[in-house]
Amino acid sequence: MTHLLDIRNVSRRFGGVLAVNDVTGHVDEGELVGLIGPNGAGKTTLFNLISGFTPLSSGSVSFDGRTISGLKTNQVARLGISRTFQNLRVFPNMSVFDNVSVGAVGALPQGALGALFGSLAGGGARSAEISRRTWEALEAVGLTHVAGELAANLPYGQRKYLEIARALAMQPRFLILDEPAAGLNDTETRALADFIKRLHGTGLTIMLVEHDMTLVMSICQRILVLASGRKIADGPPDAIRRDQAVLEAYLGVDA
Amino acid sequence: MIDPYYLQQLAIGLSLGMTYALMAIGFTLIFGVLNVVNFAHGEVYTLGAFAGLVLISATAPPIFAVIFIALAIGAMAGFSLERIAFKPFRRFTDEASLKSRAMRESTLLSSLAVSIVVREALEIVFGSQMRSVPFEYLINTPVRIGPVILVTGDFIIFGVAAAMLIGLQYLLTRTRIGLSIRAVSNNPLGAKYVGIDTDRTIIMTFVVGSMMGAAAGILTGLYYGAIFPAMGFVPGIKAFVAMVMGGLSSIPGAVICALILGISESMATTFVSSGWSDMVAYGFLILTLIFFPNGLFGARRERV
Repeated sequence: MTHLLDIRNVSRRFGGVLAVNDVTGHVDEGELVGLIGPNGAGKTTLFNLISGFTPLSSGSVSFDGRTISGLKTNQVARLGISRTFQNLRVFPNMSVFDNVSVGAVGALPQGALGALFGSLAGGGARSAEISRRTWEALEAVGLTHVAGELAANLPYGQRKYLEIARALAMQPRFLILDEPAAGLNDTETRALADFIKRLHGTGLTIMLVEHDMTLVMSICQRILVLASGRKIADGPPDAIRRDQAVLEAYLGVDA
Repeated sequence: MIDPYYLQQLAIGLSLGMTYALMAIGFTLIFGVLNVVNFAHGEVYTLGAFAGLVLISATAPPIFAVIFIALAIGAMAGFSLERIAFKPFRRFTDEASLKSRAMRESTLLSSLAVSIVVREALEIVFGSQMRSVPFEYLINTPVRIGPVILVTGDFIIFGVAAAMLIGLQYLLTRTRIGLSIRAVSNNPLGAKYVGIDTDRTIIMTFVVGSMMGAAAGILTGLYYGAIFPAMGFVPGIKAFVAMVMGGLSSIPGAVICALILGISESMATTFVSSGWSDMVAYGFLILTLIFFPNGLFGARRERV
């Protein structure tokens, strides 16, 4: 069986530093996978390699049986890989609704000039599609009541959900959440965990990159562990919890 | 009762301000998206005017054909300008490079270089003297309104500027490319990750902004009846001043400030010789920067 996301012997060198060193791994359709590792383990670099933002030094990445290494970031996104950011990248001076619409617009095929200048408000199948996807995504994260608000005016927690909504409006097949719990308190983190489980319940494949161990352990089916650019473990939460290499990476060699 | 003289000066100032505004709209649009100053905008304006003039001299086209050729040349100029002077400096797409001073300063100089080359090339081909527009194409038939005398060009320029502003607002808020332009101007990286082709969006911004610049050039040429290679320089500076005064990335702000500039300049000629009237613009610039560093309309306004 082919994996939805297949990472093969991927490496990335920055000058003399091997940020990602020969990592192989996969994500299957419908999985909720965690990616953890100490600071500087190469999680973000691995992300950037998957999304085409950073070119690979060697190895290959394929998505749904198709090689995606070498594609541009926006092309990868349009194939159905969507992500959120640790330090949010919402569009602060645009309304919540417009923020999410950008996701819907970005995912649509962009061919002729007609499509470019196509109206958002007017009739036409495309514009109806954009507005339908936007409302659906807003509803999924519970932000319909602030649709007209400027994104910059939302509190931090809501801006996170806004970013998720923008990603969902693309109707992705694979969603990468980069440290969604950063900066949230316990109650908010629990609400987030429920939300991610609900999303996963709709059949969406999700990869969660997190520092918050409790969150990752409680909701992920499988966990990949990176340390110093290498994959050091890959397995269900229980196995990861007892894994000697993981303990060493997190607590130091003498642990 | 206001002295008709002042009303007349006010009218002259308004039309002067409108010509600055035409130019400032495109200028501000490009700045808002890339956060870089496009010093070649004045030459796009000149190219638009020359494109119209060449067509007029070659055939005797209807006026809309003249405007059309100016728009077409403007679109091409915008596209080439982006490829030559801006794209090469966007090799690194991470956020730090996009916002870096090096990026801003290098494109500032590369666009200035393009502007010099284009101006010199126009001088070689057309000579540096003013070329006059054939009489029948001039848009300066006088129109008397009460004590004030306006010309048809005033109305045309006003109409075109208003249409551009409204059209641009429509483009930015109601179309897909507009949404992409705003997204890229807000956060280029975020836009990329949701599938927006940032390169293409930036090209489109240059094309739209340059079409507006070229239209401004041909209209002003037909209005004053003179077209020459250096004609874009002074309006370019005035548009820059209007943009800074308006808060750098507010298009309506830039338009309002362009009008203020035009009116103050024409009023100033009452008190000082017209050679000094440019002082007004630069004086305003300095005062704005001292007292309103964010521009008159800069605070918490949507960019672009």
